[in-house]
Amino acid sequence: MKKTRLASAALPALLLLAAGAQAAPVKIGMVETLSGPQASSGQAYRAGVRYAIDRLNAAGGWNGEPVQLLEYDNQGGPSGASDKLKAAISDGVQIIVQGASSAIGGQITEDVRKYNLRNPGKEVVYINVGAEALELTGEKCNFHHFRFAGNADVRVQALVKAMKENKSLGTKVYAINQNYSWGQDMEKATVQNAAAGGYQVVEKTLHDVNKIQDFAPYVSKISASGAETVMTGNWSNDLLLMMKASKAAGLKAHFATVFLDQPGNISNAGDLAVGHYVAHVFNAEASGAEGDRFVADYTARIGHAPVFVEPQTVFGLEMVADALKRTKPVNGALDVNAFAKTLEGTRLKTPGGEISVRAADHQALMPMVVSVVSKDARYKADGTAFGFKPVKAFTGEEASTPAQASCKMQRPD
Amino acid sequence: MDWIAFSLLNGIIYGLLLFMVSAGLTLIFGMMGVLNFAHASFYMLGAYFAYSLQGVVGFVPAIVGATLLAGLVGAGVERWFLRRVHRYGHAHELLLTFGLSFVIAELIKLFFGNYPVDYRIPRSLDVAAFVLGQQQYPAYRLLMGAVALAMFAAIYLLLTRTRVGIVVRSAIYKPRMVEALGHNVQLVFMGVFGVGAALAGLAGAIAGAFYTTSPNMALEVGVMVFVVVVVGGLGSLGGAMLASLLIGVLTSLAVGVDRSAADLLAFLGARDWAEGVGGLLTLKLSSLAATLPFALMLLILLLRPSGLMGDKD
Amino acid sequence: MRTPFILTGVALLAALPLLVSAGLLNASVQMLIAALFACAYSLLAGRAGMLSFGHAAYFGVGAFATVHAMNALGGSGLLPTPLLPLVGAVAGLAFGLVAGWFATQRSGTVFAMITLAMAELLHALAPQLKGWFGGESGVSSMRMPAWGFDFGSTTQVYYLALAWVLMALAALYFHSRTPLGRLTLALRENPHRLRFLGYDMHGLGVSAFALSAMFSGIAGALQVISNESANYAVFDAGVSAGVVLNCFIGGVGSFLGPALGAALMTFFGYSVSDQTQVWLLYQGMLFVLVMMYMPDGLTGLVSATASLVRRHGFARVLPLGLCGGAAAVLVAAAVVFGVEMLQRLFSQDYRALARLSAGPPPIALFGRSWTASALFTWLVPAGLLAAGGLLGWGAARRLRALSPASATDDEKHASSSESTPESTPVLGLSEQVRA
Repeated sequence: MKKTRLASAALPALLLLAAGAQAAPVKIGMVETLSGPQASSGQAYRAGVRYAIDRLNAAGGWNGEPVQLLEYDNQGGPSGASDKLKAAISDGVQIIVQGASSAIGGQITEDVRKYNLRNPGKEVVYINVGAEALELTGEKCNFHHFRFAGNADVRVQALVKAMKENKSLGTKVYAINQNYSWGQDMEKATVQNAAAGGYQVVEKTLHDVNKIQDFAPYVSKISASGAETVMTGNWSNDLLLMMKASKAAGLKAHFATVFLDQPGNISNAGDLAVGHYVAHVFNAEASGAEGDRFVADYTARIGHAPVFVEPQTVFGLEMVADALKRTKPVNGALDVNAFAKTLEGTRLKTPGGEISVRAADHQALMPMVVSVVSKDARYKADGTAFGFKPVKAFTGEEASTPAQASCKMQRPD
Repeated sequence: MDWIAFSLLNGIIYGLLLFMVSAGLTLIFGMMGVLNFAHASFYMLGAYFAYSLQGVVGFVPAIVGATLLAGLVGAGVERWFLRRVHRYGHAHELLLTFGLSFVIAELIKLFFGNYPVDYRIPRSLDVAAFVLGQQQYPAYRLLMGAVALAMFAAIYLLLTRTRVGIVVRSAIYKPRMVEALGHNVQLVFMGVFGVGAALAGLAGAIAGAFYTTSPNMALEVGVMVFVVVVVGGLGSLGGAMLASLLIGVLTSLAVGVDRSAADLLAFLGARDWAEGVGGLLTLKLSSLAATLPFALMLLILLLRPSGLMGDKD
Repeated sequence: MRTPFILTGVALLAALPLLVSAGLLNASVQMLIAALFACAYSLLAGRAGMLSFGHAAYFGVGAFATVHAMNALGGSGLLPTPLLPLVGAVAGLAFGLVAGWFATQRSGTVFAMITLAMAELLHALAPQLKGWFGGESGVSSMRMPAWGFDFGSTTQVYYLALAWVLMALAALYFHSRTPLGRLTLALRENPHRLRFLGYDMHGLGVSAFALSAMFSGIAGALQVISNESANYAVFDAGVSAGVVLNCFIGGVGSFLGPALGAALMTFFGYSVSDQTQVWLLYQGMLFVLVMMYMPDGLTGLVSATASLVRRHGFARVLPLGLCGGAAAVLVAAAVVFGVEMLQRLFSQDYRALARLSAGPPPIALFGRSWTASALFTWLVPAGLLAAGGLLGWGAARRLRALSPASATDDEKHASSSESTPESTPVLGLSEQVRA
């Protein structure tokens, strides 16, 4: 495990040796996909986490000591994540952070729940900064899980409202998604919003995840259906290949996406991405001076502007930092249950807007911005001439969707 | 009926692309009995070499350069790695190529990063060839197909009409005899491996511009190439062409079919029962499109293990 | 001579929870599971000589059967938690019988391709069949208390896994001593003769396949008991390739070789993955180097060293060993340093920061700050490489002096072909050692 540059291991060790006072520094463990095919997402989360922890320690840490960040590589799969979670817990980590995959998120939340059940008094909490499957705040909702990311319902609702308002939605929408929980959630959300959006879902398609090289057959179907907007939750190659195939076929439909701002997409797609929409948590152009300051500071420390999943990671951890500040140590150590209760009631103004946590299912109400790829954007993406121009910004409350009925949270009271 | 025409055309072009990548593999297997797990890595290397050269020399010279470089890497791999391991048996060769595929993928990630790189078709080639129905058909796809066909013709002529080709074919069939006749079989092996790798590199250089060039390219194409080689017959060039076309068209057409086995059983009045059973019977063919090649592979292996056009022994 | 080794080993394993931290203990559980899986695979690939490339399928089938049993039976009644691996065994056996019946009709490459196709088909279908495989979040369950234990802590899971792995290894060893086990060996050594002696080749092949699948199923079940969930990622081609590699790195020439190889590689992945981002590169390099220079795996290394010691005495071999070891460490250090520097130099963020500042920013590595443009930075790996190269060359010369090259090769191949029909050495030390 790597320790963050600012955390000095010597200080807590000395304090431990001191008789009597047992001040234990808070350890935050990041269990991420840092190697293998999906490493690019994991490394993006890591950049956001490191930035946020550095800021937390610059502001004084917790209980007079710097917070320690321990990084674990889950070797690409849920079983590796389970192993590293156990390693993290045995290293004394009390706050687990993860975001890169809903499958891994599902594994971690279940493992955390079972561990907490078996070890009352030594609980750990899971801060989810990116796993957006609905079940994590649905059937699998858990008092010790907090989600600081969107979900399919929230993203689709924002896209529909914004695109309807600027008249680019049309009346025929095609839903094409990856055939797993995230894609299926997106498809359901697209259908649910049809009445409010005033459109008809002309066809729904689910395809294999990351296995399709040639999207031309799918593009044929889209063009044959006459859809004006294509709503998709695809990420990485699935999104890029589909967009390239649609450009090659001369498809006129707009794409309404969730992950268009993933690094590499715009540089690869270039001008064929112009006119497509994305729903994301932060767009500096829509956030005024605060946004500019955040972008400048992040770029100076990390080397690139905060895009894709980095802003939501930073904001989520800022909420965690705020809750930590207001959690008093118990016998010199962090009481995770008290921390979780404090986090539940936290409201914080971030560069993206105000964020609060909904106590019913621990879904954070994140602000959402719908942007369109354009040459006129102030902040350019991937070093190209194009960037994301905000179309409509929603506050956390405006963007939120109701808590799911399937969530029956057990509270430790 | 537009979509059938489109699907067929798309399927054929995709199949030709698969052929470009698997031609080398089937030759290498036929010659040396080595199933080269790193073959798809040469595909990826070709794309990255072309990307690096494109800024310096332009698109077409970059493709030529990438092909040659990939061929050199392939020859080097054979000369310094595979040759040493050859005497330990097939398992070791296979595992060595597997380890090499990791090494190549990680080295590419080291130098070029984890995200897809900006390797694109030049503007001049990014035009539509014709319009069918409401859709345009990009000229570059036709170009890819043309290159694949030209490659097939070139290899076929090389193997059947030239001296070199005769030596190569006999070295595939009876290497000891050819060695006894005084030919340098080691050099032939190295040459075939190099040419196979060069072909994969050419495929990568051409396809990488149209599809994406990212460090996961090898994984995406890798397994499909194996299916093609097995279905077509290990060592048979014609078989590889037939199998790749078959798989390309099958996957392409399947995407358009939104029916499942339950719908088929509806003809027999058993729809409700099928839907009650669920599972496999209610899966739509379109969502199984990428699974079909494996089912085909298993079927061929069980019924005709030498492949569609392989030698029956 | 073997029994004391084994007893010490078992005692050490039993005392492990007292010696290591909880995180490492969990890693040890994974190492045990990988060791069992590799030994089960070695039954098929090492003894019967049938290389299967889709063995993850049987591991996965055992895993999913167990997780469904855990959910259905709640760990009580007929199948309390400690007996759950039996479900994995039965599922693995059943699936192995069916798959093996088809696959063993062919041999060689076609056999390998059939097994690969079956595993890939399962891997591709699994996410679609949500009822059985739970989609991409898998099926999860919970260990229930039984027989007075609550199975809540890693220690209890470790002992359960240890007990099962030891029993399974004992069963595998017993199998190798039975006539059936001997015939399996003959399948690899001389199938023609076996056929002419009148044995049912297909039946033998199926038995080897099914038994291997059964023990793989037990390993899968143990993983589910440890992780309390099963995910279709277990059918991935990487898992199948991993077990083949573990087996060959350990060496198929001995009984425990694959177990050792699996344990080492699992530990390598576990510990190195947290230290560096490019650990997959190191792993790939390790595979390539082992395949090229240690074709018989660790077993081969151990038996080669043992034969050298036998011939020349410990005193003469020790400096050679130290020299070779030091050379390996130095070269590895040079490679690691070079790769880590290159990785940081070429990363996007570093390049962006370099563009913003005047010269290349310093890189922090191994507790020190290095400047990319300084000569010293590149002298370090070059120096280490040179030193390691010199030592290695010296060691190679000494080795050649101790044992002329042709004799070593002949001896190695002679001893390996002599020893295998007689017995499978447990730790790579053949019967002659006892004399």
